Amino acid sequence: MRAPGPVALEERTIFAMGGGGFTMEPANPLLDDYVLSLAQAKEPKILFLPTASGDTTPQINAFKARFSGRTCIAEHLSLFRLRETRVPLAELVAQQDILYVGGGSMRNLLAIWRAHELDAMLVGAWERGTVLAGLSAGAMCWFEWGVTRSSGPPEPIEGLGLLGGSLTVHADGEPERLPVWLAHLRDGSLPGGWALDDGVGLLFRGRSLDRVVSSRPGAEAQRVDAIAGELLRRRIKPDLLGSRATDPLGGFDEAVEEMRRVHRLRRGTGGRRS
Amino acid sequence: MEKDGSLLDDYILSLLERPRPKICFLPTASGDADHYVVRFYRRFSPACEASHVSLFRRDQGTGGVEDDLAAHLLSQDLIYVGGGNMVSMLGAWRAHGLDSILRRAWRRGIVMCGPSAGSLCWFAEALSAFHGAPRAVRGLSLLPYSNCVHYDAEPARREEYHRAVADGMTAGFAVEDGVGLHFRGTKLERVVSSRPGGRAFLVQKKDGRISEACLDAEYLGAAPPAGERPPLAQALPLAGAAVAA
Repeated sequence: MRAPGPVALEERTIFAMGGGGFTMEPANPLLDDYVLSLAQAKEPKILFLPTASGDTTPQINAFKARFSGRTCIAEHLSLFRLRETRVPLAELVAQQDILYVGGGSMRNLLAIWRAHELDAMLVGAWERGTVLAGLSAGAMCWFEWGVTRSSGPPEPIEGLGLLGGSLTVHADGEPERLPVWLAHLRDGSLPGGWALDDGVGLLFRGRSLDRVVSSRPGAEAQRVDAIAGELLRRRIKPDLLGSRATDPLGGFDEAVEEMRRVHRLRRGTGGRRS
Repeated sequence: MEKDGSLLDDYILSLLERPRPKICFLPTASGDADHYVVRFYRRFSPACEASHVSLFRRDQGTGGVEDDLAAHLLSQDLIYVGGGNMVSMLGAWRAHGLDSILRRAWRRGIVMCGPSAGSLCWFAEALSAFHGAPRAVRGLSLLPYSNCVHYDAEPARREEYHRAVADGMTAGFAVEDGVGLHFRGTKLERVVSSRPGGRAFLVQKKDGRISEACLDAEYLGAAPPAGERPPLAQALPLAGAAVAA
């Protein structure tokens, strides 16, 4: 169980991926291992929310395939399929170390969360230091704005607003989003933000960008802001996960443990976990 | 469309006056489950102009209706809402403006029907037992009653529904699997069943106590030969097809 009360802002963690992880990279576990490394628990409890896809079986199976053999306790939450367990939602969410949100329709995702009052529970989880992670719709939802194809053509959509600015995803895989996003930045109807290629993730501590990582060589992030109607584009080269030269993780369990210890020491929160 | 539910489907089609009626399926409550959509077309496309609306795959062009949802739905003879989770369904409907489109469709005389969540949604209130204690949830309120489905299939349902009505939920109808309530306007016209002996109940609070009046359903099939039992054991739950014309 997480600490019952709110943690300091810089201990609140969101990992937002432009694409990638178990649903998109069945043979590449780098981003998902990185997600696990963000939790402080030795054996983190990770809950998958496939809401944006309508809880499709392939997404749920891919989640199980990825996480069932790893050092974690993995479960998924279906908001469509009736199950035997009648654990209240708030209780289930409060038990987790990591909440991992899948891709799909961002419009449906937020509307269905609201209908179950899950949006407020997720904000509460973030405030208590639960790691929030996700890709595509599950990444954009944490920002003020995203660009969705929920109704067909790409259009801006408001997110939960835990993180400032806007996010657009699949910048390389679905290039039709990017021009829509840039046009809205230019005319000032969307705040500046990030465009992420598939395989790239942004790590936020509190509301500040802490690190940019990637599971694929060559994948990029860019930060774009509009200044007096002109777009200022800055490319960000991510740290490639799994290469020992740039990454202390190195894909090895010992290294993961080492990093968790360092994180705990650095933030002086070693005793917070039960 | 459910197993053991073909008599109810035939009954619903009998309400439509056109020879090849237009019928649109909304599988939202199942998360637009592919197997459900396939089952719908298998059942209805031979006799109807069948279509479906997917609210989850609108970016993928997977054969569902993509363009003007309102124009499409308002041109139907029948709108068939699939089962699943009612709260998730209503949330997604609101996000796409479907709640108001469906109200308009009903006022135009389009027949609305569905099992389980596809029944609950037409009522003012419904009993939903999902991730926690059973609670009252609001529906579209076309019918000013409450509704409880799977009344025989889930042992705790009866007690939960009685308690909810005692605690102030609107009086309403509890329905066993395989039984459909047919409303004209807001008036209950017929209770029909795909199984012999199927029942519905009117549950209300009278003088501070719960009263439960049994409404015997008309069996839609031929009477089974003596000594032969209907195949209840293999039946998938189908409950409370609310039909409003």
